[in-house]
Amino acid sequence: MSQSLCYHCNEPVPASAGYTSLIDDQAMPMCCPGCAAVADAIVSAGLSDYYRYRTEKGQQQDIPPQLASLIAYDLDEVQQEFVAHQGELREVLLSIDGISCAACAWLIEKHLAGVKGIAKINVNTTTQRAVLVWDGRQQRLSDILAAMAQIGYNAAPFQVDAQERKDAQESQNFLLRVGLAGLATMQVMMLAVALYTGYFYDLEQSFRDYFRWVSLIFATPVVLYSAQPFYFSAMRALFALRVNMDVPVSIAILLAYGASCAATVKGTGEVFFESISMFTFFLLLGRLFEQRARRKASENVSNLQKLVPITARLIEQGEERQIAARALKVGQRCRVLPGERVPVDGRLLAGNSQFNEAMLTGEEQPVSRVIGDEIFAATVNLHQSVELQVVRVGAEQRINTLMRLQEQAATSKPAIALFADRVAQYFVPAILMIAALTYGIWLQIRPDDAFWIMLSVLVATCPCALALATPAALTCGTNRLRQQGMLVKSATVLEALPRITRLLFDKTGTLTRGHFSITQVDVLDPTFKEAQVLALAAALEAHSSHPYAKAFRAYRNKDYIAQRCHYHVGQGVEGWINGQHYRIGRAGFASANTQVMEGMILTLADRPIARFAFQDSLRSDAHEAIQRLQLHDLPCEMLSGDPDPHALKIAQQLGLTHAHHDCSPEQKLAYLKACQQRGDKVAMFGDGINDAPVLAGADVSVAMAGGTDLAKCHADLILLGDKLAPILAAVETARLTRRVIRQNLALSLCYNLAILPLAVCGYVPPYLAAAGMSLSSLVVVANSLRLLRRP
Amino acid sequence: MEIIYILIPIAIGFVCLAVALFFWSVKSRQYEDLDRAGYSILFDDPKPEQPNSPAESTEHDNDRV
Repeated sequence: MSQSLCYHCNEPVPASAGYTSLIDDQAMPMCCPGCAAVADAIVSAGLSDYYRYRTEKGQQQDIPPQLASLIAYDLDEVQQEFVAHQGELREVLLSIDGISCAACAWLIEKHLAGVKGIAKINVNTTTQRAVLVWDGRQQRLSDILAAMAQIGYNAAPFQVDAQERKDAQESQNFLLRVGLAGLATMQVMMLAVALYTGYFYDLEQSFRDYFRWVSLIFATPVVLYSAQPFYFSAMRALFALRVNMDVPVSIAILLAYGASCAATVKGTGEVFFESISMFTFFLLLGRLFEQRARRKASENVSNLQKLVPITARLIEQGEERQIAARALKVGQRCRVLPGERVPVDGRLLAGNSQFNEAMLTGEEQPVSRVIGDEIFAATVNLHQSVELQVVRVGAEQRINTLMRLQEQAATSKPAIALFADRVAQYFVPAILMIAALTYGIWLQIRPDDAFWIMLSVLVATCPCALALATPAALTCGTNRLRQQGMLVKSATVLEALPRITRLLFDKTGTLTRGHFSITQVDVLDPTFKEAQVLALAAALEAHSSHPYAKAFRAYRNKDYIAQRCHYHVGQGVEGWINGQHYRIGRAGFASANTQVMEGMILTLADRPIARFAFQDSLRSDAHEAIQRLQLHDLPCEMLSGDPDPHALKIAQQLGLTHAHHDCSPEQKLAYLKACQQRGDKVAMFGDGINDAPVLAGADVSVAMAGGTDLAKCHADLILLGDKLAPILAAVETARLTRRVIRQNLALSLCYNLAILPLAVCGYVPPYLAAAGMSLSSLVVVANSLRLLRRP
Repeated sequence: MEIIYILIPIAIGFVCLAVALFFWSVKSRQYEDLDRAGYSILFDDPKPEQPNSPAESTEHDNDRV
């Protein structure tokens, strides 16, 4: 059993964990009580089909789910923000963690179908969201969320990103336009075959005109509806006194359409309906892919913006009641229990405690605060119930000044001039001038044909391949990065990465793992085994919220359960296991006669039996990744918020020559700005809320998967694994992508330049122009697809 | 050959129908989740004896914890 994998989440089962669940009458191994509880809930609801048809494994479960915190979602003040009322029913959009395949959606819907008061639940696996409609009188929202948590999915209302709202509408419109253009193009091409045949065989005039009229009918919606985005984009550019790729595209479509209509009515000249339709269809297809990738990114951002209701325990006339934190006013008193988040900036009035200020500094190490000290919103009270007086509310709170700083940094972020746009700047005016010149010259030689030849110049040189060159390559490059374990938030990162000249790293959570792990176990009493002392310590530490306590979590064993535990603030835990009295904690607390020892001591009846040492360990590949980056001539620096000078030692270990510690978020941003002013293009790596401003200001920002949601929201690139090395692959992929973009542009420019003289001389008939255009587009797409070959 | 004067208008009618159907399917959000529908055939309907009630009661016990 020791090597088996958890049937629910596929994580290795720790030796001697011994949890199992009965699934389809077979006992399956489970890695932790969380997974076992979830599996039991699924089976007892008759939903074991989930295990039969799922294509991805489940998520490892945290124990126990914090159900108490969900109750805040029931407050009317909180619900105002995200609930829509439809008569008696209420509707809410939820973002759900852990949906990995269609079986998850089925499981959630079926499980909730059994909860009373739910009118509708619809889960979308692509966006990892659900629409929930329920009867507020029969069921509380917190109970519904708890029912989801019971089968292992954490759901929360969230803030839909403004960008996403726009993208969703736009992407639906794009799909309609592409679909219509596709259907119409098929019809026009079919008729065009008949018309082409007419060049070689005799086609009666009446049939030819009939085909042209029918083509006109099909091409009209394509030109008037499907191609609209090009006209608007071209107009916007012209109003801003610029030219972009859409200018010649729009001119070509409209002129060719106008001329073809005139030819159809008069029954003379040439028609270009099939070229226009196909051209529009191809261009729209390229834009659709680009748009899809953007939409996916903005959906991910929205899912991260969970609305966590912050409530406060207000004390008025000696009575305590729960209200929304936003309603607090300066001067009021409120209480914060151990384990709770501080709702507002305030001054401590009663109680001394330690606080986890990781939200502000990035450091997990608790900070002690005494009466009279100021404590900040969003920090976590670790030990004792305290009372505080509200000092600042709303936008003036420390956490919100960070948000503002980050918004300011984001707006001043250096824009990346896309290579294709720079090419278009020269290419487009050149085409327009050549077309105008051609018209002028042919007007002197053969006035009747001048207009047609100018048109064929525009159609033949129409930068279809040029317009596809960049989006196709970027889409493929983005997919390649995903294969390499990175999530790309904006495609511009591929253009920005190869230009990076300096990398800045946050320490805790980026270079290091960000949580303490046990580095050394000394068994002081030979009658105990190492596994045994670890299990004993884990049982006691289950009752502590100290950051060290998490390190023991992996060693929990259900044969050792601690009872009558008592937690001593800042000291340690004592309790009874199997009838014996144990203490764990600082040397002075655990035992009176071991004062000199460092680390954490476990004692049995005042006799030391083991000693544990902890360290926030480096990421396993941090050293190698940094060495290799520096070999590539990319200087790396550390920028840490840790006040402890020990941080510099870690920088030394990694071979970082430049390192800064004890930096506030403002100082980090100022340092970044100073680098940028010296002409450096800077990539910033971070994970905490304190890193959000500097991430927002960097040329390329990279967040770790384990980082805070805020950091991930504002990063261009998210490293999905636990390693730093993928960034090397990312730089490589970005360089490859840049090469492919240049090849694509060169190919399409070559084609355009080659056909230009022929078109100017009037040798290019319409069917050849259309064929050449399609062929050049296909070549560009095929070249981009090379990026998808497994790296 | 004169038959095309009748056949092509009929074809136009069919294309219009196809476009209308396509617009309807997009607007009713059928393209929002492409992974989901393919799997729905695999799952059985709820088993005849609904063992849902025990699950529900534990749920209420749990959130008092």
